[in-house]
Amino acid sequence: MELTLNEKKLLVALGPVGSADAATLADLMDTRREAVVQYANLAGERGLVDVEKHVSRRYVPTEEGRAYVGKGLPERQVLESFGEAIPMRDLQAHPLAKIGIGWMRKKGWVVIRDGVVQKTGSAFLGPDEAAFARASESGAVEDGEGVIDLARRGLVQEEETVTYTVSITPSGRDLLAKGLDLQEEVGTLTRDQILSGAWKELPLRRYNVDKLPKRAYPGKTHPYQRLLDEMRRVLLDMGFTEMAGGIVQSSFWNFDALFQPQDHPAREMQDTFFLGERWPLPPGYEHIRDMHEHGGETSSAGWGGTWSAAKAEQCVLRTHTTGLSIQHLAEHQKPPVKAFCIGRVYRREAIDPTHLAEFEQLEGIVMDEGVNFRHLLGYLKEFYGKMGFEKVRFRPGYFPYTEPSVEPEVYVDGLGWVELGGAGIFRQEVTAPFGIEHPVLAWGLGISRVAMLRLGLRDLRQLYRSDVEWVRETPTYGGGR
Amino acid sequence: MAIITLPYRYMERLTGTDRQTIIDRVPMIGADIERIEEDHVDVEFFPDRPDLYSAEGVARAMRGFLGIEEGLPVYTVRPSGITFSVDPGLADIRPCLASAVIRNVDLDEEAIESLMSLQEALHWAVGRGRGKVAIGVHDLDAVTPPFRYIASPRDRSFVPLDFEREMTLEEILTDHPKGRDYAHLVEGFSRFPLIVDADDRVLSFPPIINGELTRVTTATRNILLDCTGTDKKAVMTAVNIICTALAEAGATIEMVTVDGQEMPTLAPAERVVSVEECASLLGLPLSVQDMTRLLGRMRFGAEPDGDSRVRVLVPCYRSDILHDWDIFEDVAIAYGIENFDAALPATSTVAEEHPITAIARAVRSVMVGLGYLEMMPFTLTNERVLYANMQREPSPGTLRLLHPISEEQTVVRTDLLGLLLEMLQANKHRELPQRLFAVGDVVEACVTYQKVAAVSIHPAADFSEAYAAADVLCRELSLQYTVVESADPAFLDGRRGDIIVGGRKVGVFGEIHPAVLNAFDLEHPVAALALDLTAVPGYPVPPGTPSPGGR
Repeated sequence: MELTLNEKKLLVALGPVGSADAATLADLMDTRREAVVQYANLAGERGLVDVEKHVSRRYVPTEEGRAYVGKGLPERQVLESFGEAIPMRDLQAHPLAKIGIGWMRKKGWVVIRDGVVQKTGSAFLGPDEAAFARASESGAVEDGEGVIDLARRGLVQEEETVTYTVSITPSGRDLLAKGLDLQEEVGTLTRDQILSGAWKELPLRRYNVDKLPKRAYPGKTHPYQRLLDEMRRVLLDMGFTEMAGGIVQSSFWNFDALFQPQDHPAREMQDTFFLGERWPLPPGYEHIRDMHEHGGETSSAGWGGTWSAAKAEQCVLRTHTTGLSIQHLAEHQKPPVKAFCIGRVYRREAIDPTHLAEFEQLEGIVMDEGVNFRHLLGYLKEFYGKMGFEKVRFRPGYFPYTEPSVEPEVYVDGLGWVELGGAGIFRQEVTAPFGIEHPVLAWGLGISRVAMLRLGLRDLRQLYRSDVEWVRETPTYGGGR
Repeated sequence: MAIITLPYRYMERLTGTDRQTIIDRVPMIGADIERIEEDHVDVEFFPDRPDLYSAEGVARAMRGFLGIEEGLPVYTVRPSGITFSVDPGLADIRPCLASAVIRNVDLDEEAIESLMSLQEALHWAVGRGRGKVAIGVHDLDAVTPPFRYIASPRDRSFVPLDFEREMTLEEILTDHPKGRDYAHLVEGFSRFPLIVDADDRVLSFPPIINGELTRVTTATRNILLDCTGTDKKAVMTAVNIICTALAEAGATIEMVTVDGQEMPTLAPAERVVSVEECASLLGLPLSVQDMTRLLGRMRFGAEPDGDSRVRVLVPCYRSDILHDWDIFEDVAIAYGIENFDAALPATSTVAEEHPITAIARAVRSVMVGLGYLEMMPFTLTNERVLYANMQREPSPGTLRLLHPISEEQTVVRTDLLGLLLEMLQANKHRELPQRLFAVGDVVEACVTYQKVAAVSIHPAADFSEAYAAADVLCRELSLQYTVVESADPAFLDGRRGDIIVGGRKVGVFGEIHPAVLNAFDLEHPVAALALDLTAVPGYPVPPGTPSPGGR
C-alpha cells in the first residue's frame, strides 16, 4: 500500500488526538480544510481512517432581517410607536408602516375602524418573535418553532453547514506505529533533477489513474468537412480532377447550356434564387439558341418556340454544379476527361429540419471515346462502394440534361433502399454546341443525405448552425458510423 | 409532381395481369411508388412522360413492357364533320387551339375524377400552370357546332362552372376562385379568349374556367375537347394524350377541322435510328432484331431498315422523344436497367486537386493546430449580421436575393466574421474558451472567392492573442505581410491591425468592439482575425461568372 505524503501527514496529525474535525486538522497540518477532506477520503478508501460527514442547517438573518436585529419585527416596532389608538393617516408616517400595519392586523393586534387604528389589547410575543430574538443574539438560529414563518417572510435564510470528523482506525494506528517516511514527494521533475541524476533518489508522487483528467477540447475540422474530404479523397483516388467555380452563374450556364427549356418550372422564381445582376452571353451562344429552337445540327427536334437571350442573361445562385461541368468540358475537349466538383448549390426552399436553401452537391463527369451506359453504372457502383454503400441498384430516371438517365439507390440497414443522387449520359443537345464529340457520363448527389446517414443527424441545420458541443463530441475518426 | 392513382381492378382489366406484377414491375419503367393501398397504388412519373399520367397510359406501357401486347398502338380516327374557327385577333393573346371529339364515353364518378386529375397533371407538366396549355372538356351534346374561338370584349358574361349566375369575364377574374388563381395569365389584354358555339353560347373562357352549360356529368356520352395555348406543339400533345387515354378506355375518337386542318390524326412520327450508335451508347451487343424487339416492348412501331438501322414509329403521345438518344433510353429500359452489367472503362487519368481547395486545406490545418474548431456557416445571411451589428458599411458588391424566402437570408455573405460571432451567440451556453474558425466562399460583385475568419472568446481574449494567431496563419501561408493600425469599426481602436500584402489590405485582426459584442449579445472579450485567401501565393484568378466582361 503506497500512501501519498499527504495521507501520511494526516495519520501523523491524527495520532495524538485520535479523532478531530477537518478544520482542526487543517490548522494542525497547515493546509486547507478541503485538502484535508480529500486526503481523508483517500486514506478512508484504504481503511486507515473513518470519515464522518455532518450536515447541519441553521438560519441567519437576511439583509432585511438584519435591519430589525435588536429592534424587533416591524409590526412590534410600529405597535409600540403609539398609544391605544392612532389615526391611520398619522400612523402611515412611520417608516415601517407599510409592512407593520399589515402584520399587526394579520396577527390580530389591531383593528381599523373609520380610519383609526385601535389596539385589541392582545399582542403577545409570538414564536416567530422569540425565534428572531434568539437569532438576533447569536447571529443564527437552529431550526425550531417560528423559524419557518421568518424564512417565508424572507427575514432569515437557510444555511447548510457541512463538517467532517476524521478518526484514525486500528489499521491506521498500526501503520503509524511502524513509522512513516515523511520525505517530500516530487510532482514535476525539474531540469536540475533530471540532469544531476537526483531523480534516482527522489520519491515521485504517484497519480491516481482512476481519476479522469480535466476535459480538454482540441481544435479540429468540422465533422461535415471531414465527410466532404473523404469524398474528395475517393474521387481523387479514382483519378478525377477537381473543379471549382463561382456561386453566381448566368441562367445561360445554369440552365440554357444544359438544354433546360426556358419555360421549365425550375426556372421560375419560386424555385430558384434570382439576382438583379445580368451577364452577357459568351461568344458562340447562338449554337445553344439553335439547339433550343430546333435541335441545331443533331437529330433533335429542340424545344421549339423562340429562345430569349434576355432570359439567359439573368444571374442566379447556381442550382447545381453541372454548369461548371459543361464549362470544364468546353475548355477540355480532348479525351479523356474525368472531373469532379463538390460545391454549395441553392434552391429557394423554406428552411426546416430536412430542407435547406443551400447544401453541398457532388458531381462527377467522365468523357472519353467509347464510354457507355455500362461504364456509368460501373463508376457509380465503385464510388458508392468506396463511400461504404456496398449494395447499389439502379432505376430509370429523368433529368433534363441526360439521356439515358438513372436513379441510383443504395441499401441502408434499417432504412432499406434509399435513393441517392442521379446520373446519366449528357444529351447531345448539351454537348454538341460545345463541340464535345464523345459521350459524357455524369452523376451527382446531394451530400446532405449522406451526411444524415453517416453522422446520424435528424436536423440538417446542425451542419451549418452547429452546436459547439456536437462538433467537440463527434470523434475525428470512426465512432461507429 | 403529379400523383397518379392506379386502381388494381381497373389496371388488371386493362393489362390482363395481376396487381402484384404491376406493383413489382412498374418502378422499372420509371414510376416512384408513393403509397400502396387496399384497392389502388399511387405512383409518380417523371415530368417528361405526361403520357403516363393516367391509368390507361400506364396500362398501355405495362402491356408492352410485360410482353402482353407489343408494338405501336393504333388508334382509328374518323371525321366528325365539326369545325372550329380561330379568331386572328387572338394572335397576340392565346393563338393556338387543338381540338377533338370523343364519342361513346362511359363515365362514372370515378372515371370523371380520373379524367379531371389527368387534366390537372397535364396542366402542370405540359401546360406550365395553364399558361402554355389549358384544357377544356365539354359535354358535346349541350352545344351546337360549329364552334368559334374568339377574342371577346371583357364585359361579356356567362355562367361559369360552380356558379349559378352570369358573371362578366372581368368579374370572374376577381370573384371566381379559378379566376383569382389564373387572372395573371390574361391580365393586360384588352380582349379575352372565349369559346362559343353556333348559337353564340359560351363553352369556355380559357385558360380560366369553363361554362356551367357544358359541365361533364355521368350522363355525358360525347365530349368536345379544346386545348388552347401559346405553343402549337404543346396543345397538340395534350390532345393526343387525352384522346389516346380515353381510346384505351373504349371511346372512339373523331377529328375536328380547325381553320381547315383536320385533327387529331393520332399518327406516329417516324425516325430512322442507327443500331450501332445505340449499341455503343448503351454498351450492349445489339442486333437489328434485338433493337426492334426491345422497341416493340416500349410500344414503338419498329422494323429493320437495312442491316444497320431501325425504322421507328413514335406514338403520337410520346412528346419526350426529341432525339435519337431518347429512343435509345427506351431500349435500355426494355432491356432492363437491372440487367446491365456494370463495368469500368480503361480510361486512364491522373487526378489533380484544385489549388483553391489545397489552400483551404492548408488553412484548416493551421487553424486546427492553433486549437480552433471549424464551423461551416450558411453562405446566405442578412445585412444585420454582415454590417449593422458589425458597425460596418455595406460592401457595394453585396448581392441581394430578388425574392428571399426569409428575413434571415436576404444576401450572399461578403465576409465570415459576423457569421462566426453569430455562432458564438448561438453557443453561449457552451463551455469557454471557444475558438471557432470558418473557411469558405464569399461573393462580391458576382465574384466568388475564399476567406478565412477566426474568433476566440474567453475572459482573457485580447489583441495579443489575435495578433499571434494572425501572425502564425500568415507565416504558415507564406505571406510576405506587414501590419498597420486598422480603422475597421468592428474592432476596438488601438487594438486592431490591418494585414497588408503587396500594398493591399487583405486582412484584419484585433479585439472585437464592445458595441459589436453587445449587438451579438456576447459577454466576454473576443479576439478575432479575417484573411482574404486570394492574397495567398498560387491562388488562381477568382472564378467569377464564366462569361468575362463585367455587367
